[in-house]
Amino acid sequence: MQELETIETAINPTTTTPETAIAIKNVSVSFKTKKGVFNALNNISLDIKRGEIVTLIGHSGCGKSTLMNTVSGMVAPTSGTVTANDKIVKGPGPDRGIVFQNYSLLPWLSVFQNIYEAVDSVMKDKTAAQKREIVNKNLDMVNLMSHKNKLPGQLSGGMKQRVAIARAFAISPSILLLDEPFGALDALTKSDMQIELLKLWNLANRDKTIVMVTHDVEEAIFLSDRVVVMNNGPAATIKKIVDINLPRPRNKKDISHDPEYMKIHDELLTLLFHKFSIND
Amino acid sequence: MKKEKVLSFIYDTLFFVASMAILVALWELIAYVTKNEIPGPKPTLTVFKELMQEPFYDRGPNDKGIGNQLMSSLYRVFLGFGAGSLIAIPLGLLMGSSKLIMRLLNPIVQILRPVSPLAWFPLGLLAFHAAEGATIFIIIITSLWPTLINTAFGVSSIPQDHKNVGTAFGFSKWKYLTKILIPFSLPHIITGLRLSIGIAWMVIVAGEMLSGGVGIGFFVWDSWNGLSLEKILVAIIIIGLVGVILDKMFNALQNAFAWDK
Ligand SMILES: Nc1ncnc2c1ncn2[C@@H]1O[C@H](COP(=O)(O)OP(=O)(O)OP(=O)(O)O)[C@@H](O)[C@H]1O
Ligand SMILES: [Mg+2]
Repeated sequence: MQELETIETAINPTTTTPETAIAIKNVSVSFKTKKGVFNALNNISLDIKRGEIVTLIGHSGCGKSTLMNTVSGMVAPTSGTVTANDKIVKGPGPDRGIVFQNYSLLPWLSVFQNIYEAVDSVMKDKTAAQKREIVNKNLDMVNLMSHKNKLPGQLSGGMKQRVAIARAFAISPSILLLDEPFGALDALTKSDMQIELLKLWNLANRDKTIVMVTHDVEEAIFLSDRVVVMNNGPAATIKKIVDINLPRPRNKKDISHDPEYMKIHDELLTLLFHKFSIND
Repeated sequence: MKKEKVLSFIYDTLFFVASMAILVALWELIAYVTKNEIPGPKPTLTVFKELMQEPFYDRGPNDKGIGNQLMSSLYRVFLGFGAGSLIAIPLGLLMGSSKLIMRLLNPIVQILRPVSPLAWFPLGLLAFHAAEGATIFIIIITSLWPTLINTAFGVSSIPQDHKNVGTAFGFSKWKYLTKILIPFSLPHIITGLRLSIGIAWMVIVAGEMLSGGVGIGFFVWDSWNGLSLEKILVAIIIIGLVGVILDKMFNALQNAFAWDK
């Protein structure tokens, strides 16, 4: 895609006063299951500023997707409130673009149609030609132009993920909610996609708010302003919020030698694997 | 690739021929054992050829060629099946999408489904004052259940993931219906239609034995009264072949609308 060095350099971010894009307030989520009530999240509060990139990190099953889904509106908090763009979240909305953990593509629609239907649904005032152009632009961004007529069943896991990403981006939401968006990608494609993500963020004057779930510590540091480390469930809480004060634009190659980077990397690993190091 | 296809076609043909050979052999055996009281393949073939000389002759209301008989049966089946499907598909879509409607209507379906369609014949006569109407009426009833049940099942089993797409991107009711609900349910609906037409084709023969007039079922009954077992056997073969063709048609439809492979 692009060479890693020069990315982000050409952009002069406009400094806007940081307003709150997402406010998670005392949110608890419990699920009714056959075996009784399962408390997934317990009294979580988190404010995310407009234009911030925040990653959620934590062990499998701790409740990262659940927390994301309270923001997307796919899961209603049992108690507490989530506010997004100054409105209390009551359900999904076009201001929040979602990449689901399991891609969620419609298997009977082509790659193009999968994105087109989402665009068509959200951007009602645009002409068909304009909508097609938006779809093509986003397909181009994820490098899937030559596969646009394939069905999801004919794609690899990584390709499906890129379609899901293109779909979320295509509706140009002010908040992007990405649940392990690069999880199924190989290291090279993953790097490319991370840079594409930052490029898009820059192009939008760093005004888009991005919340992302990841299992990849390096990815979390490279992309985020803050990393939210979650405790293991049930009744998960936030263990710690780690600020990433590395200057942007960041260069993937150089950053790994930065002492600050290494310090944060260490801290995150300790937070995540604390349990195991004691038991060893 | 191509070679494999040719090879599998040859195998299919060989097995088909072998299977038919077994059928003919069994038939010969039965004819032999019953001392030709049940006619064997040869005399049946002779009668078949006779009937095929002029399949569409028409000498009055009770004397028509076998082609005419077949056509009126097919006409009734498609009319009844069409009407039944037009009731069953929307109703199935409703039952599948609403738990309330499902719980309200499912007991009715469960009670009526096991009833032999022929039991409805007298009610059909009462309602339509004609055997023709009554016959189509029982075909409607027959075609109802498999399509209704399969459609309802299809709709109610839409995976949460697919529904999430609709919710997340704010699909309108119409978009949800045309881009998620119907595409997902279509293979199930077609399976229902395939079962329905199969049963309808079975029931029409019995129905026409009751109703008289024209039709392949009436033809069987008429041949029995005329003591021509050969004609009955010819009719059985034709009924079987038409059934296979109907089934293949819907099988092709199933393949055309399968998105999961
Ligand atoms: N719809 C649901 N009904 C019942 N339990 C649920 C439901 N959704 C999630 N859970 C439970 O809530 C907990 C958190 O699930 P969640 O999917 O948020 O985890 P996660 O951190 O995203 O895990 P992973 O990293 O594996 O994706 C799990 O124990 C899960 O079993
Ligand atoms: Mg998850």
